[in-house]
Amino acid sequence: MSLTKRVSNWFSERLGLDDLPFFKTPDYMYHVNEWLGALVAASFIYTVISGLILLLYYNAAAGYQSTETIINQVPYGSVVLYSHLYGAYAMIILAYVHMFRNYFVGAYKKPRELLWILGVLMLVLTLGASFLGYSLIGDALAVSAVDVGAGIITSIPQLSFLIPIIFGNYDTGDYTRVLALHIILVALIGLLFVFHFFLAEHYGMMPSRKVKPKAPAVYTKEEWSKFNPWWPRNFVYMSSLIFMTWGFILAIPNALAYLNGLPQYFNPFMNPKPAPPPNSPAAAHITTYPPWFFLFLYKIADFTSDVVIFLMIGVIIPLVYLIILPFIDRSDELHPLKRKVFTGIGILMITYLIQTSLWGDLAPGVEVSVKDQVIAYLIPAIIVALGLTFIKPVDAQLKPSRGISPLTSLLFMVVAMLFAGSVVELIDYPSLFTFAIAVFTGSLFFIGSKAMGKVVLSKGLPNNAVPEVKTTTETPTSTETKKKFAEVLMSILFVLVVVIVAQMWTIPPTGYASNLFGVDLGLVFLMLGEVISLYHYVVYKKPVEKEE
Amino acid sequence: MPLKIRLGNGEKGVLKTSDLYFIQKLLKTMRNPKTRFDSREFVEKGEDYFFNYVGKNVGGVDEGRRNFLKGIVIGVAAATVVGIIPGLRVLVPPVEQAAGFPKSLLVDVSGNPLKASSIPVNSPIITLYEYPLTGEPNFLLNLGDKSGNPVSISPVEVTVPQTGKTYKFPGGVGPNNSIVSYSAICQHLGCTPPYIHFYPPQYVGPSQLTAPEPDTLTAQALLAAKQANIPALIHCDCHGSTYDPYKGGAVLTGPTQRPLPAVLLEYDSSTDYLYAIGAIGVATYPEGSDGVPSQDPSKDLDTSQYGSSVGTKTQVQANTNPFSGS
Ligand code: FES
Repeated sequence: MSLTKRVSNWFSERLGLDDLPFFKTPDYMYHVNEWLGALVAASFIYTVISGLILLLYYNAAAGYQSTETIINQVPYGSVVLYSHLYGAYAMIILAYVHMFRNYFVGAYKKPRELLWILGVLMLVLTLGASFLGYSLIGDALAVSAVDVGAGIITSIPQLSFLIPIIFGNYDTGDYTRVLALHIILVALIGLLFVFHFFLAEHYGMMPSRKVKPKAPAVYTKEEWSKFNPWWPRNFVYMSSLIFMTWGFILAIPNALAYLNGLPQYFNPFMNPKPAPPPNSPAAAHITTYPPWFFLFLYKIADFTSDVVIFLMIGVIIPLVYLIILPFIDRSDELHPLKRKVFTGIGILMITYLIQTSLWGDLAPGVEVSVKDQVIAYLIPAIIVALGLTFIKPVDAQLKPSRGISPLTSLLFMVVAMLFAGSVVELIDYPSLFTFAIAVFTGSLFFIGSKAMGKVVLSKGLPNNAVPEVKTTTETPTSTETKKKFAEVLMSILFVLVVVIVAQMWTIPPTGYASNLFGVDLGLVFLMLGEVISLYHYVVYKKPVEKEE
Repeated sequence: MPLKIRLGNGEKGVLKTSDLYFIQKLLKTMRNPKTRFDSREFVEKGEDYFFNYVGKNVGGVDEGRRNFLKGIVIGVAAATVVGIIPGLRVLVPPVEQAAGFPKSLLVDVSGNPLKASSIPVNSPIITLYEYPLTGEPNFLLNLGDKSGNPVSISPVEVTVPQTGKTYKFPGGVGPNNSIVSYSAICQHLGCTPPYIHFYPPQYVGPSQLTAPEPDTLTAQALLAAKQANIPALIHCDCHGSTYDPYKGGAVLTGPTQRPLPAVLLEYDSSTDYLYAIGAIGVATYPEGSDGVPSQDPSKDLDTSQYGSSVGTKTQVQANTNPFSGS
């Protein structure tokens, strides 16, 4: 036995890697759709780590000033701060995606009700912690967001006792309490996460509808004992996802830090830099916005002046609905079209959330008449209702090709934009480095467009045009070729990573250029994730991964 | 040589070369006694068995290849770690080493140089600028008499009651030699504006005894002002320390035992601009044993954790009127 084998055996024995109580995963589940929770967890972990680093420097008695110090003085402080912000952004978006995906596949049904409720509570905590974190910067936007938040609470006199409990002496520039609550809420998320995680492991991932079309959708002990154990395939797959998430969290805000003139609609949300302090003359010239994840509430406040109604529409009704959902939708049907009412409500929730948020962004604080409200909210409802009435559930067997998931297409868009950006960069600053980046994003783009193209093109083909026999002989070869290609790509990525890492050692720790470090580190994480994912593909991917 | 077949109006590839090669290899393996293809099992389990078989024996990833790939993954991971290392500097707190006092032009809120002759005499509005580090506020005062005419401030010897030592305050600058500047951090326990601020003549009187915080004057302060025969003073509402702005920030009443350090100003009469060029008096923060301050004001330039040198410009802000409420 070779030395490395012995070492790895030693560890796997000591750590009991072979019989971890984790859920074993069938081959067909290695798709990002089933791993959205891991993405949320990855951004949570990133945000916690970066937050702890910030905690070393942040001074709650001088919020704005110490934020500026972190950005300007602390080595790579801006890299950490900006990615902390975007880690939270990523966590919120991914949590929504994770939630709605599980909503539509019916994952809240028996026996996963508690898992679902814990998840909803974690979303609320995440939004709360993010709001408090946003307030800690103490810039004009944060202070006005706190004003609005406090204003909503005080307009219900019975609730105004909460103001000092939540905000402490925020008005006098002492953010100690907000900082403490920020950390407390995050700790609570962590605690609930442990429960959420172990419950999820206990019930396992939702089997495909083809295997278990009805709730309770769980594998029996015998069924799942023959699946892939956690170590090593799950571990490999998971780490690739985690590193890619971290890569995006690092690369995007640090790249955006170079942009100054974002259009007004995006500037307060995408620009990671703080706005001017509230008492500066510059503060008078900025439109104040709440953090983007509360834009929908901001707009709903324009609908009515009655705070109770506002809270009902904006917070209480949707929240209570989500929490009691497992107990209202009690049928054992999992197919979204076999529980049309709930599917419809889900679609409308997403539509309204996005629609209202955009509205709040484009027309902040403009009052909306009842007539306009009815038009804006009735039309989507009618469309959804009509659409759902006439669509019949398609038998799963008739759909051979896996449609592209919305997440994949979103990712593809990000890749496409990054590719375009890197080409522009290459033209502006032709160097080996920019060239390397352009090649990298270009190859991602290429892979992506090939994958997208296949789906788009196959839509036009009749389903049974391909004879059975041909697929059986061809699949192994084409997988083989792809694996060869993946190996070559891995070697290229290795060289690229080394080049970038060498460059990273030359980046100054403070100042304008320091954000390049974040961009580079993000790219390196992305490539590490990609290499691991290619490794997973080459080593573990089976020619056909049947849904079993 | 790819296999081709004629079909109507053109050639159509049936098998690619690589496919041909693959089939050859597959057939050879199936015939090999060691890895014989079990057709009985195939009939039982169907294509599942076939794919597993192919994966294991023909297309499967052999040990050497797998190790090579593992090597690449480990290599990339190692490179990532190497890339993170310079980032660990984030854990090293920045130490501000201001080598000395910068020469900083005083500018107004819109960034234009401040004209010395435009500074109002005896202004009740707290007028501050940061110097020499950010986070270290200083008063900017244009002193006048009771009727608001600028008063020329002459050089004076200032005593530090705590140590008994003295230093020379150089006097006022500006068109009327009436402009002075003192640290706005109280030398008693460090209160900052609005708790410590300048009281112009109209607010130095018995009516201030009952004024709300931060405008309350103590009877001792009023008495001391009367004895020193000065119309205005600097008073700290935290514990009642009083300073004499006309005499280099000297102590009028305790509990403070140290005068306010003064910022040295330079006046350019051709442009009417003001520059902060240094400080004189005790150090801003008492660092020595038993809270005894250094006589050298540059001693504590590196003690402010968040401050950094203000550089060549510093902005004068006149935001708060402490008396507006009373
Ligand atoms: S701090 Fe100013 S008198 Fe005590």
